[in-house]
Amino acid sequence: MIFTEPLVGDKTRESIRASITEPRADVAGRVFKALVVGSIVVTLLIVGILFFDQINGGWPQLSTRLGGFLQGTLRSRSEDELLGVHQALYGSLWIAIFVAVFAFPIGIAAAVYLEEYASTNRFTGFVELTIRNLAGVPSVVYGLLGLYLFVNDGWIKENITNGPTVISAGLTLAILVLPVVIITSQEALRSVPSGLKEGAYGVGATKWDVIRTQMLPYAAPGILTGTLLSMSRAIGEAAPLILIGAITGGLTANPGFTDVGALDDRFTAMPIIITTWVQQSGRDAGFAVAAAAAIVVLLCFVLLLNLAAILLRNRYENKRTV
Amino acid sequence: MNSKRRIFAGAVALSFVVAACGSDDDSSSDEAETEASAAVEDAESAVTEAEEAAETETSEAMEEAETETSEAMEEAETETSEAMEDEGSEETADLSSLSGDITISGSSTVEPVSVRVQELFNEQAPDVNITVDGPGTGDGFVLFCEGSTDISDASRAIKDEEAAACEEAGIEFTELQVGIDGLAVITNSANDAVECLSFEQIYAMVGPESTGITNWSDANELAVEVGGEGDLPDAELEIYGPGEESGTFDSFIEIVLEGIAEEREQEAITRPDYNPSADDNVILQGIQGADTSLGWVGYAFADTAENVKLLEVDGGEGCVAADPDTIASNEYPVSRPLFIYVNNATAAENPQLEAFVDFYMAEGLDTAVAEVDYVALSDDAKAEVRAAWDSAL
Repeated sequence: MIFTEPLVGDKTRESIRASITEPRADVAGRVFKALVVGSIVVTLLIVGILFFDQINGGWPQLSTRLGGFLQGTLRSRSEDELLGVHQALYGSLWIAIFVAVFAFPIGIAAAVYLEEYASTNRFTGFVELTIRNLAGVPSVVYGLLGLYLFVNDGWIKENITNGPTVISAGLTLAILVLPVVIITSQEALRSVPSGLKEGAYGVGATKWDVIRTQMLPYAAPGILTGTLLSMSRAIGEAAPLILIGAITGGLTANPGFTDVGALDDRFTAMPIIITTWVQQSGRDAGFAVAAAAAIVVLLCFVLLLNLAAILLRNRYENKRTV
Repeated sequence: MNSKRRIFAGAVALSFVVAACGSDDDSSSDEAETEASAAVEDAESAVTEAEEAAETETSEAMEEAETETSEAMEEAETETSEAMEDEGSEETADLSSLSGDITISGSSTVEPVSVRVQELFNEQAPDVNITVDGPGTGDGFVLFCEGSTDISDASRAIKDEEAAACEEAGIEFTELQVGIDGLAVITNSANDAVECLSFEQIYAMVGPESTGITNWSDANELAVEVGGEGDLPDAELEIYGPGEESGTFDSFIEIVLEGIAEEREQEAITRPDYNPSADDNVILQGIQGADTSLGWVGYAFADTAENVKLLEVDGGEGCVAADPDTIASNEYPVSRPLFIYVNNATAAENPQLEAFVDFYMAEGLDTAVAEVDYVALSDDAKAEVRAAWDSAL
């Protein structure tokens, strides 16, 4: 049988043509597109203005003595030629390493457990709810937790942390980002197509095989994005470090980046020296310049980390398609 | 005194070593000593000559001889001090052998002074690991009286209850004044209706009974009532100052408000409805943003700020402008002492801490305080503080 009659009537055909070709066609869609483009422009503008404003503010330091600024220490006067951020970079770098070493494996493992092993019952529900709530707890509260756990007198202080040190700070911030790492990893694991899993089970793979060879490689880019975003957050936190006792005034020790022996000494970190220099700028206006320069250094540090995350993610994504 | 003896003994021991090695340095310092003593002898003989001359000649000859004497004495002094400086460089060598930790905490106002001293000290003693922190005077004393810190920076004297906590923990300390900080009473530079405020007027605008006042002139009645002038202008009043946690807040109350508040049987506090901030920059921004604002911050902060006018203050003896001279001489009424508190027992046990405080008493008082924009003590006051430290050990 041959169709002689069109599937839609003339009237419908006209209205479809009009909605595609007429000048006032699809107004809502165009407005929506303008809105999303506008949002991205605003976001980029804010980041751009912030970045250039800080570069501009810190230029006297950045242009004349970048090397000295990167190797320098906390000083009492802004015109001091030894002023710089090396001690703070040391603190922030090792905090990042502690977060990577402690929060990531534990967080990802917890996510795998919750997604693949835990049975769906009230207890699991309670645990999931608690983790989601913990992710929203203000960072100062984690600072207090770190203070009691790691800094105050006790077995942990005597044997592991030695009081207000890089170790205490690193562990506290690792705890701080743990809930976020778990949640983002869970989301990434959930995005693995069930067909992939079932196919693997179908050919006789064990649960461990499926997780190792199918789940984790497929979820890796998502896990990486989430974990490295949470690391950027850990590097930018000032409030918990203030509670733990990061140094704001002066520190003699200026250890090299690879000097592991200084991990159980008093420390400072990038957000701390930015805060303290902004405060000092009332006494000595040159510290405003130093603070702006330190902000630029911190932004570059975080950008480098994100760049590393993007490169790693691309590598995993390429592997997956092969 | 112990420390100086030790340093001296060290210097002597070192010079023996150097002498044994046959170094030229030592012979030159010997030469300096010989020269110095020769010069002293010259001076003495000049005195004898002068006395002889005075017996026979006129008073003119006497004057001449005196000049000669003083010149000879000066020469002798210079040469002696040069010889002393040679010993001083050996003292430096002594500092470089020190090691260990020193923990300093307390006032964020004194923090820059201690950091500056730390920097200078570490130039000579690089192996001594010093940390300086500034959570605030009160927090600093809590740590100090727990025994967690060696030195506590303070922008006010220790309170009785804080001292009691120290005593309970068995911690004996020495209070050493290191400098002076003036508090500046400030307004916007566009405000030319006011030049000088008396304590009474400040009390009437900022004190506990001023709550709700939003115009300078509304405070006149109260100012007159407490014994001040009622000549405040008709202008909007916006007050910016440090928050309760700040040492600057405590000092301001103690110096300006407390006396009048006690007379009037009021609690010594500020009005609750002003704009408090822990950040001096925020206070300055507030002042800069309102033409007829009123506030107070540390002198070092206000002195360098733009669009801010430092008001003269009358503490009962006429209006005095805040500048380094009037603050040092205590003429300017709103100034406060800056202290360090040293744990005596720790200082006696740890040579690096003792050497650090010795250094603080020398370079700190002379150099560091002024370098970070506070007002150095007068020479008499310095001598007093140094004597206090010497007798503490």
